[in-house]
Amino acid sequence: MIEFKEYIKNLNKRLHNYIPDPATFTPGEEGVFKPLDLYNHPKKEADEYKFKAIKYAFKHHYENNSFYKKYCKENNVTPDDIKSIDDFNKIPLIPDKFFKTYPSGKEFAMWLATTYTGELPNIVIKRTDDHDAIINKFNDAGLVISYSSGTSGRHTFIPRDKRTFNDTEYAIAKAAITMIYPFWEYDSYGYLLMPNPFKTNVFAGKVCSVYFDAIKDVQVALDRELKADLIRAAMKNNLKGRIIRYAMQRENKKMMERIINWLRENYKNKNKISFIGAPFILYFVMEELERNGESFDFGENGAVITGGGWKIFEGQRIPVEEFRKKVEKILGIPPENCLDLYGMVEGNGWMIHCPEGHYLHIPSTYYHAMVIDENGEEVAYGEKGRFAFLDGLAMSYPSFIISGDEVRMYEECPVCHRSSPVLEPEVSRAKGDEMRGCAEEMRRVLSMDLGGKDA
Amino acid sequence: MLRELKDKEYIPPKNMLKLFIKGGFVLSKVLIKNMGQLKKARKERIEYIPPKRNYELPEYKPGMKVIKSNEKYLRPTLYCNPYAKEIIALANHLGAFEKDPYEYARDAFEFVKRNLILQIMPLDGVVPTLKRGYGTCLHKISLFIALCRAAGLKARYKLYAIAMIQQWYETFVEIDPLMREWYDAMGYFMLHGEGEVYIDGKWIVADVGPTPERQAATGIPITKFGEDSIGIWFQAIPGSIMRVESLPLGLGTASKLLMEKISPASVAKMNNNILGQVEKGRKILQEIGEEEYNRRVRKGYKMPTIELERKSIIFE
Repeated sequence: MIEFKEYIKNLNKRLHNYIPDPATFTPGEEGVFKPLDLYNHPKKEADEYKFKAIKYAFKHHYENNSFYKKYCKENNVTPDDIKSIDDFNKIPLIPDKFFKTYPSGKEFAMWLATTYTGELPNIVIKRTDDHDAIINKFNDAGLVISYSSGTSGRHTFIPRDKRTFNDTEYAIAKAAITMIYPFWEYDSYGYLLMPNPFKTNVFAGKVCSVYFDAIKDVQVALDRELKADLIRAAMKNNLKGRIIRYAMQRENKKMMERIINWLRENYKNKNKISFIGAPFILYFVMEELERNGESFDFGENGAVITGGGWKIFEGQRIPVEEFRKKVEKILGIPPENCLDLYGMVEGNGWMIHCPEGHYLHIPSTYYHAMVIDENGEEVAYGEKGRFAFLDGLAMSYPSFIISGDEVRMYEECPVCHRSSPVLEPEVSRAKGDEMRGCAEEMRRVLSMDLGGKDA
Repeated sequence: MLRELKDKEYIPPKNMLKLFIKGGFVLSKVLIKNMGQLKKARKERIEYIPPKRNYELPEYKPGMKVIKSNEKYLRPTLYCNPYAKEIIALANHLGAFEKDPYEYARDAFEFVKRNLILQIMPLDGVVPTLKRGYGTCLHKISLFIALCRAAGLKARYKLYAIAMIQQWYETFVEIDPLMREWYDAMGYFMLHGEGEVYIDGKWIVADVGPTPERQAATGIPITKFGEDSIGIWFQAIPGSIMRVESLPLGLGTASKLLMEKISPASVAKMNNNILGQVEKGRKILQEIGEEEYNRRVRKGYKMPTIELERKSIIFE
């Protein structure tokens, strides 16, 4: 079996385009690129990486982002107040909803510019530009503006620069490849159960473009151009929404056939395969296979990394464990190779299941997770509250966020030996917060109660 | 005549006109695109019982003191008559001419904020508003302004377009597909406001719109006299803030058309939702007490405020 060090070295070679010149590493980048294992680094050293990364990021945003500086002043906090990790709870957290409070029209461009930390290149905006047109202009100027949407139809827009985006792509790849060790090798075949990263600004799709560099051959489930307006339209219950959903449903059947044929071909050729993306698509593929009495036995030659939420039908979630059992039964892929990944458009930290216990491990070298109660105070390990984080990687926007997700965090994994703290295997939305998650977004767009119901 | 209309600011300022034109245009587009939905919405019957007034009206007695002046911000304006008997009686009852101006204005603020329930309805004057005990934020602001002017305190409207928080979006917008499309197409809610009263050389903001119950139901702080809602539970769309002596002409007719003719069922749904919120908030405040609620919620996280920067964006 390949040594872990060699394994990560191979990954770094393959993803060298994502790694900046080490002489220019920010402390956050040091925390991502230098440690071999983001989830199992000696605690003392991990804390040192993390402290430097977050202190640096906080100072950077305080000094270069007017709205965040004002917010810090209102909260009476300056970078000098952060002297150790114990002071991290002083750093003002931004509610994730803040990134939904954008105005329309040309002011949307100004809003993006204001939330962006630092100077921007010249960007020319026309009166008639819609959200996607404005985003594309920012992106043409070297940024990577991406978004996700909640069920309210309000998008969350995050202004990343190219470097921060590359960093997060590397981090997600490293997260998955580390936990699935020793499974990964370039010479394998992948199926992305997300929108085509090159045809969308949806974050969950876009961040997966690294898959195309990590794997020799990648197919995409949703290969059409996916614009913000289309997502919004598809979520509506008017004539346009219905037409889009009808077209999508017809497309879905073909998509399922393509995935099934792909499975057959790779199984026949004894190829190593992986799926990455929204679990509900694979769920419906497996349902179809089960109906046809067909199954595979990929064994150690297969892996599944899911992400984005577990809603299968309106009002119905599939338990993660049940999903893993189904994957083992229909595809023959063992539960150790079936992991879930948790992250969000506002951050660059990727929590991923360990194969042993399927607890969500938190990267410990550049990202600080907290659980917050209704009074805005940190709760003890094991208690329920809102997930919040300080992200030392984001240089283009302050990624110090309190989310609408409800979690329980433990200091260490109850099952495996890794040194990083963990979240319980499944994450839910806090009461009163809208349903979100990239899989849910895709499920709605695809009208994908594939059994034929209308989403 | 025209001069007087202009002087009293009955003619909407340019940015308000722009807001109305854009809002009207987007609404027309939404309605044309969704004729079927509109037809369905107009036929829809939603059971709605307006709330009862929860205070007694003080009796007017001849000789009650009132300041009558033709000075700007003191005189009567559209939908805001400070000389009405009911207003004079209430102003005197609240301690006008007895308390110091700040104390009186604060008490007038507390009365309007706490006692009048928000309900979406066409605009009308301060007397029917006071008699009814409910109205929109504009009704409530007008009442607050009338109470201030009756006591000789200059008062005006601070109006703006808002991007609202999620909880308000759910109450007002999400419940109705037409509203949702209208809001989403514009990215903001057309008009909201606060009152402002001039005391000791300073304009003091008075956010009389939300009752403590509604604020508790949505988990936001209970705003005090002098405390702005902007930045606490919503953002004002940049460039949209207008400080005016009067509500503009045409707003009443437009609100009547929109709320009574176009989609009364949508309005009923919103109002029922608001009443539900009031009830929910009342329970929260009964359980933990207003002081404790406010302490807790202010300890939590508020939204950062944002002042838009152009940086190096060029607009063509």
